[in-house]
Amino acid sequence: MSGSPLLEFIQQTINGLTLGSIYALIAIGYTMVYGIIGMINFAHGEIYMIGAYVGLLVITVLGLFGVDSISLILLATLAVSILVTGSYGWAVERLAYRPLRGSPRLVPLISAIGVSIFLQNYVQLGQGARDVSMQPVLVGGWRFGPEDGFQVYLSYMQVLIALITVVSMTVLTLFISRSRMGRACRACSQDRAMANLLGIDTDRVIALTFVLGAALAAVAGVLVSMYYGLVNPFIGFIAGLKAFTAAVLGGIGSIPGAMLGGVVLGLAESFASAYLRTEYKDVVAFALLIGVLLVRPSGLLGRPDVEKV
Amino acid sequence: MRRALPEALLAAMLTAVLAVPIFGLRIHVDGIDVSLDRTLTPVVVAVVIVFLLRLFQGPLRAVWTRTRPPAAWRNPLADVLRRTRQQPRYRALLWMLLLIAAVIWPFTASRGAVDVMTLALIYVMLGLGLNIVVGFAGLLVLGYAAFYAVGAYTYALLAQHYGLSFWLSLPVAGVLAALTGFLLGLPVLRLRGDYLAIVTLGFGEITRLLLNNLNVLTGGPDGIGNIPRPTLFGLEFGRRASEGNATFHEFFDIDYSGEHAVIFLYLLGLALVVLILFVINRLQRMPLGRAWEALREDEIACRSLGLNPTVIKLSALTLSAAFAGLAGAFFAARQGYINPESFTFIESAMVLAIVVLGGMGSQLGVMLAAIAITALPELAREFNEYRMLAFGLVMVLMMIWRPQGLVPATRPRLELPERAEPTP
Amino acid sequence: MNTFSRNVLGAAVGAVVLVLGGVAHAADTVKIAVAGPTTGPVAQYGDMQMMGAQMAVEQINAKGGVDGKKLEAVIMDDVCEPKQAVAVANQIVNDKIKYVVGHLCSGSTQPASKLYEEEGILMITPAATNPAITQQGYQMVFRTIGTDDQQGPTAGKYIATTIKPKKLAILHDKQQYGEGIAKEVDKTVKAAGIKPVLFEGVSKGQTDFSALITKMKKEGVDFVYYGGYHPELGLLLRQSREQGFDAKYMGPEGVGNKDISAIAGPASEGLLVTLPADFSTDPANANLVKAFKDKGQDPTGPFVMPSYSAVQIIVDAIQGAKTEDPVKLADYIRKHSFQTPIGKVAFKENGDLKEFEFVIFEWHADATKTPVKQ
Repeated sequence: MSGSPLLEFIQQTINGLTLGSIYALIAIGYTMVYGIIGMINFAHGEIYMIGAYVGLLVITVLGLFGVDSISLILLATLAVSILVTGSYGWAVERLAYRPLRGSPRLVPLISAIGVSIFLQNYVQLGQGARDVSMQPVLVGGWRFGPEDGFQVYLSYMQVLIALITVVSMTVLTLFISRSRMGRACRACSQDRAMANLLGIDTDRVIALTFVLGAALAAVAGVLVSMYYGLVNPFIGFIAGLKAFTAAVLGGIGSIPGAMLGGVVLGLAESFASAYLRTEYKDVVAFALLIGVLLVRPSGLLGRPDVEKV
Repeated sequence: MRRALPEALLAAMLTAVLAVPIFGLRIHVDGIDVSLDRTLTPVVVAVVIVFLLRLFQGPLRAVWTRTRPPAAWRNPLADVLRRTRQQPRYRALLWMLLLIAAVIWPFTASRGAVDVMTLALIYVMLGLGLNIVVGFAGLLVLGYAAFYAVGAYTYALLAQHYGLSFWLSLPVAGVLAALTGFLLGLPVLRLRGDYLAIVTLGFGEITRLLLNNLNVLTGGPDGIGNIPRPTLFGLEFGRRASEGNATFHEFFDIDYSGEHAVIFLYLLGLALVVLILFVINRLQRMPLGRAWEALREDEIACRSLGLNPTVIKLSALTLSAAFAGLAGAFFAARQGYINPESFTFIESAMVLAIVVLGGMGSQLGVMLAAIAITALPELAREFNEYRMLAFGLVMVLMMIWRPQGLVPATRPRLELPERAEPTP
Repeated sequence: MNTFSRNVLGAAVGAVVLVLGGVAHAADTVKIAVAGPTTGPVAQYGDMQMMGAQMAVEQINAKGGVDGKKLEAVIMDDVCEPKQAVAVANQIVNDKIKYVVGHLCSGSTQPASKLYEEEGILMITPAATNPAITQQGYQMVFRTIGTDDQQGPTAGKYIATTIKPKKLAILHDKQQYGEGIAKEVDKTVKAAGIKPVLFEGVSKGQTDFSALITKMKKEGVDFVYYGGYHPELGLLLRQSREQGFDAKYMGPEGVGNKDISAIAGPASEGLLVTLPADFSTDPANANLVKAFKDKGQDPTGPFVMPSYSAVQIIVDAIQGAKTEDPVKLADYIRKHSFQTPIGKVAFKENGDLKEFEFVIFEWHADATKTPVKQ
């Protein structure tokens, strides 16, 4: 069964967009935190991993109670995961980063690396280092194409991922641009000292930023655990690195940049895997990162930074 | 106390939310069956502890401030160091004694301990190397393991294909690693701090992936084995020597003991460390070292003084990479087998942690941190499961409590001795 | 380092020496070090190794031990990392332990084996399958498991003679085990005249294979050999079926365990796996299997019986050669055959088993397997 190149291209695009959505959701967390306190939150990948575990847990519990309805499962899982993961995001900021505010740049970075290692091993102790797997909750999809040739497959889950990603992004963008807290966030990311002087509680804004980032990572985690059905304590590291690449690619500090970066990275990986060799898809991802940084350090959508003396 | 109660309840609830899903309920997969194990006891304990601590936060803190030892008492290390620094001759004597003790020690210690210390010495080398670029020049490099790998693979490949000995390969490894650093630095060093960090991270990962993929060149995931140990003027340290060579024990007419090789490796590592320390010390006192420091403090001021920041950054990175290359070659020689798994991001992160925990820019601190990080887990082998957990925790705690590191850096300087006030 | 820290270090080292000294004094037991990953990502395979070895120790002690002395298993964790493996090996030498059942991962076994060879310590690995380990000309190294160049050709021959695929793809996980075995299969099928249309590697820990599957689908691949472990293959299977890619899959023993059905579900039906003959179904081992089950342990893991056998061989050799000297034992082992749970075993000159049979099984969605006519 060999197929038309166009259909294959469409399929790879679907693959890439799905992957890219996940990266985008996680990348936003990195970019928001960097935008507001200028720190690379190394532990964000582990937050995503925790979101995936909690998602798996809730689905398992619901399964044991015999709950069948997909929408109920989805809502419950998202709600619980966002709650728990958001709490982790808050706790990490409060305990490991807030005491270090104002320190030289390397200090919170090392703390973040420490948190990342701690969380990874903490989950290992709690859930074991082995893979935990789960049968897919939502199966099936649409097929397009000639009956006896190459058929493009678009699964329901893939559509769901795209949908939820778009909804989450929209909600976040509306929040940032329309709400009062959102305005405070923007003010803090532009000039924190000034915002403080104007009476904005910067501590609370920063905490909110972490929680929002964690919430989106939780969404990504739930989607991943439903889509792939496999989690282990080490998925955070790889996904975190890739999502971080996406954030930088799009322009770190810019939320639309993170979304764009995620999509670009997902597509790049898919196409590299398809048209080159699978071994090199990670190399392509990192090479893309380095290339963009060399040519346009502020990323695709970032504003070039002028360092004032 | 009234105010503390709702806070304490909130903290306890938060602890429960955090701990129950990950710690309390464990997903158990047995083939195709899935079940949930409940281990709620530690969770309950944790919640209760958090609740109590928060509730009695006020009184506990009062007790702490009252019973805390006076400031001067708290760091005997810093006191001794301060006193010795004021007298250069005393300091030189101390270093001499230290060196002699380090040389004699392996002959009295157990083989396992010497082997662990040799591993620690490798991390000392790496830490000192990274210290140049992170500590002195203030550039954040997250892909240091790449240079380490270049050094290791250089020796391994030279030994495998051309039969070059360790002594010949060592400088080549250093030079090749330096070249890698130089080539990386050229396009990359003009980037601002965080971007530089990311690019070096990407470079580190690409290096590891290439090592894993380019099977024909590097052996891929199989790695390269049968890397020979270094020889002492042609004397080998094995039980039987290869063609045309003599063995150490035969030459000196003593019984064969595996300890000879172990001790020799340790002393070799020690020699490399001393060499690196010497080079760095000299450079620190030269204009180059001053330039590194100026760069770290304020790059723009540096430029306005006529110093070329790119050249300075390049020199720091190149030298730093060279030392990593030396460490890599030594590592390959010690282990006899290398594969890409030894050069992951975690390695880079560990070396960075060593530099920061030791005190950026402080060589003594870096050495201490390297030894602590390598040797301590060996002493507590039963707690291996908690080793990495404790490592992460320590990193966070150190940053919160003592970010300047174990031994804060000081510039080389001369202090005039205290003098009584001249009477008018 | 100043006096303060030097004192701390000296005290620490002293403590180590004391502890180790204490351990070394129990001289009327025969110690066997069991070295493998008890923590880390592949700890589940290390568990199999420990389980098998410890059961052997218990049963041998229950029968009176080794010439009246008690057998003791000293478990050491190498986290499947070469660095740790070398440290463990040095520790073993330090503790004057003369026999090692281990290591597990080929990458750990290789550097450690060099040390054991030099120090005259007997090493039997129940799990490391990379051929290079026994190609170093060592005298002290043995294996109670097949090698990649025994397992690969078994699969390759089956593919070439029975399956005869129109378009074959060979995948691996770029790790020592997976890529090693994939290369063996590749060699075998090429010698039989079949050229794979695809020979590519995925990353360990990769979860999204959609691009690769699409590529294979487009190429019209109808049979895939995967060298690696179950996590990646499980996902590959599942995603393949979802995308409508119906090719048949085959894998080595690293995928042949219950977890693959947990991950792939119905997609694991029909998977072909090469496994050591299932020793737990051998009637001669019925009592042993019962002993494991009584303890709530699972004897079907691929490294359990080889690990048990390794311990047994060491003990039988000690009793047969009437010596505890590892070098003499190595000689003895090479010249004799032993009756073990993995059958009657004899060793080649280089330490590999003379025969090790790999059987092809068809896997089912409920995690059971049935042998296939070869």
